[in-house]
Amino acid sequence: MEGMELASFQIIAAVGGARSSVMEALKDAREGNYEAASAKLEEANQFLAEAHKGHTGLIQKEAQGEQVPFSLLFMHAEDQLMTTITLRDIAMEMIEMYKKIG
Amino acid sequence: MKILLACSSGMSTSLLVNKMKEAATAQGKEMEIWAVGQHEVPTEMEKADVVLFGPQMRFLKSKFEDKSKELNVPIDVINIVAYGRCDGNAVLQQAHELLTNK
Repeated sequence: MEGMELASFQIIAAVGGARSSVMEALKDAREGNYEAASAKLEEANQFLAEAHKGHTGLIQKEAQGEQVPFSLLFMHAEDQLMTTITLRDIAMEMIEMYKKIG
Repeated sequence: MKILLACSSGMSTSLLVNKMKEAATAQGKEMEIWAVGQHEVPTEMEKADVVLFGPQMRFLKSKFEDKSKELNVPIDVINIVAYGRCDGNAVLQQAHELLTNK
């Protein structure tokens, strides 16, 4: 698998891992396992850092004047990354809410 | 062997399906491989020998475990490294092992 396709897929994979970790963190918090939830969030952050690296690399290429071909797959990768970051941010607040309610 | 792949919308797994079909053909094996979005899994599962989920569905795996036992169709999450590289051969191997070890 070459260039953009591989870069997009790497992002999609890392983001997928992050998304699952965030959902698992929420489940843990809902069940009162706050330490487990914290560990899962940390896992999610590591996945997101990985995804971000790949993403930033491509953005920098374009900023340096190199043509970065646009594709549906890359758009999907970008969309998954942005929405999972948002999900992570909201999950952090929700976990605090669970602590308050629980 | 009938292999069902699933991810949230079926976009990334569709690409993987093509890679897996290429790998199967190269190995001289005949397989039925297809991908669906997560909402179609309960019905499509009945037509498969094994089901593999994308990393973004990892947190949903437990949801399908009962049905998996009921139908005797093993399920697992696609190895994240193999998924990230869109490695048709590796995922084919994972499906094969899942079926033989059930």
